[in-house]
Amino acid sequence: MSEGHPVFDAEATGEPPSSGSDATSSMDLAAIERHVQGRFGDVAADVKFGELSLYVKPSQVLEVLRFCRDDEALACAWLADLSAVHWPAGDHSIQRQPSTTGWPEYRIDRAQGVIEVDYILRSHTHNHWFRVVVAVDDTTPRLPSVTGLYPTANWLEREAYDMFGIDFQGHPDLVRILMPDDWVGHPHRKDYPLGGVDIPYQNDKFIPPPSQRDLREVVE
Amino acid sequence: MSTDLDRAAPSDDFAGDVFVDGADWEAVVDAVSDDIITVNMGPQHPSTHGVLRLVLQLDGETVVNVKPIIGYLHTGIEKNAEFRTWVQGCTFFTRMDYLAPLFNETAFCLGVEKLLGIEVPERARVARVILLEFNRLASHLVWLATGGMELGAVTMMTYGFREREHILDLFESQSGLRMNHAYIRPGGLAADVTADFEDRCTALVVKLREKMGEYEDLLLRNPIWNDRLRGTGILDADNCRELGITGPLARAAGISWDLRKAQPYLGYESYDFDIPTETAGDNFARFLVRLEEMRQSLRIIEQALADFPTGSVMVDDARIAWPSQQALGADGIGNDPAYIRRIMGQSMEALIKHFKLVTQGFTVPAGQVYQAVESPRGELGYHITSAGTNRPYRVHVREPSFVNLQASNVMSAGALIADVIANVASIDPVMGGVDR
Repeated sequence: MSEGHPVFDAEATGEPPSSGSDATSSMDLAAIERHVQGRFGDVAADVKFGELSLYVKPSQVLEVLRFCRDDEALACAWLADLSAVHWPAGDHSIQRQPSTTGWPEYRIDRAQGVIEVDYILRSHTHNHWFRVVVAVDDTTPRLPSVTGLYPTANWLEREAYDMFGIDFQGHPDLVRILMPDDWVGHPHRKDYPLGGVDIPYQNDKFIPPPSQRDLREVVE
Repeated sequence: MSTDLDRAAPSDDFAGDVFVDGADWEAVVDAVSDDIITVNMGPQHPSTHGVLRLVLQLDGETVVNVKPIIGYLHTGIEKNAEFRTWVQGCTFFTRMDYLAPLFNETAFCLGVEKLLGIEVPERARVARVILLEFNRLASHLVWLATGGMELGAVTMMTYGFREREHILDLFESQSGLRMNHAYIRPGGLAADVTADFEDRCTALVVKLREKMGEYEDLLLRNPIWNDRLRGTGILDADNCRELGITGPLARAAGISWDLRKAQPYLGYESYDFDIPTETAGDNFARFLVRLEEMRQSLRIIEQALADFPTGSVMVDDARIAWPSQQALGADGIGNDPAYIRRIMGQSMEALIKHFKLVTQGFTVPAGQVYQAVESPRGELGYHITSAGTNRPYRVHVREPSFVNLQASNVMSAGALIADVIANVASIDPVMGGVDR
């Protein structure tokens, strides 16, 4: 189902049973999936943890979101959330320690780094919601802005630009929102370290970021 | 002749223009086209709820445009959480919206529990509901108190904070902390509620119900309160939908939407309560909606207390729960001496297990979930991504304050400067949540 987006492979996740709390929707998730795929044949989809994700191409975003908003059976008048996740290139073995739960480990090894942008669309009319996922290349991330469809995306896209450097084309005012205007870098990318700024403490000492910190030195 | 002392001395022979205090007001006025001037309100303005900066464009006393500038309180909580275990995440997220800390914890924990595929025990679920609704009351009380103070109703400020302190006392008795509790954990609660929990809650409900009348007496027919709030800061249903506005602001515009009803979590479907709505969409409608929400919260608490279950407050899963049930000690810190004696003296395995669970934490299956709860300010959503490790891969928080603050321009454009204060107060933004 989700060849285009091997981030969460069904085999790798060892998916636990979903809590099934979304049973109030008048149109079940499979029907929404079929409905969208009836209009856009190449949209991949999966249902995990009781949540529907639709995987679309960057060029399709505006079209799919417009369809979801204006189609009477979907009627997603609300953009609840817009967020992003960075999956860098290479054998990005995630730092981990022996587990107590024993679920299978997930390893990421991809040729090209991507930033996944997630749009949470919600319909009050039909009381359903689902996620539209679009993956863009992480070297020059670029997406059309959806502020024309959902004005609420204005600040959410500014946040995604600030944190990931995604260029939302057509955004009316794409400037940093949380970080200072003259900040260098995009902090939520995985290649940006935690504590990436040298902060002088007492006696002009610099404390390294937590990932590079030797606790014994700090104690002394 | 022309020394500094001479310039300061009064003199009759002027040559050229005369400036007063160095400010050339005429030059300032001439330089602005169309008589529009730009004024900064904040970030240290006392009426902007923390460190919010509003750039106002003014035509006389009329507001032409409001541009909120945020980020002064950005602390990188989402990034920090990627380097901590799942349980430590609670400690971070509770500090975002510091007036509704339990909502942050609950939304995060519900998301993690969805990924883990576990259900919390009944006692933990009902205790969560009771604490959440008390937290909603505390948050709305702060809104009433600060909102009242900003419009000159200083008595309301003392009333609001007085009652809120009783609620915080309850939280302190259960979690050890007045705010930023980290009491709700993935799998249940950090510790069982105290033996007098139900009695305390019942007494508090009676007290709050009695005080609710005082707020109405003080404000509902107060002419200044009415003049300042009625017909100002209007935001209609279409504005709300386009700007993604949720919570009391949307309900005051006639949108009857509450996640507790629409997509129930924590068993909210089993409680009988109403969603108050108004149609005016102005500041006064929001006041009425919040006031009624407080009464509905009291109703929910009463129903939850009437059927408070016994049993455990942590999921019965040795991979997640700590090996013993901790209780709050007499010193207010969560280590029961009996517990320490048993663990340290008798069970080496339990000690090792406990140590590993605290330092390394448990792992969570890979996947992505979006969990939203109805916070006092609207839809609080946690978009959690796990890569199957003992720490979150990415957590994005859909903060209602952040999204709702976008409405400040729509609400205030065309109004007077004085209304900007009332409008921003009625959004009830918490900058800790906006900036994260």
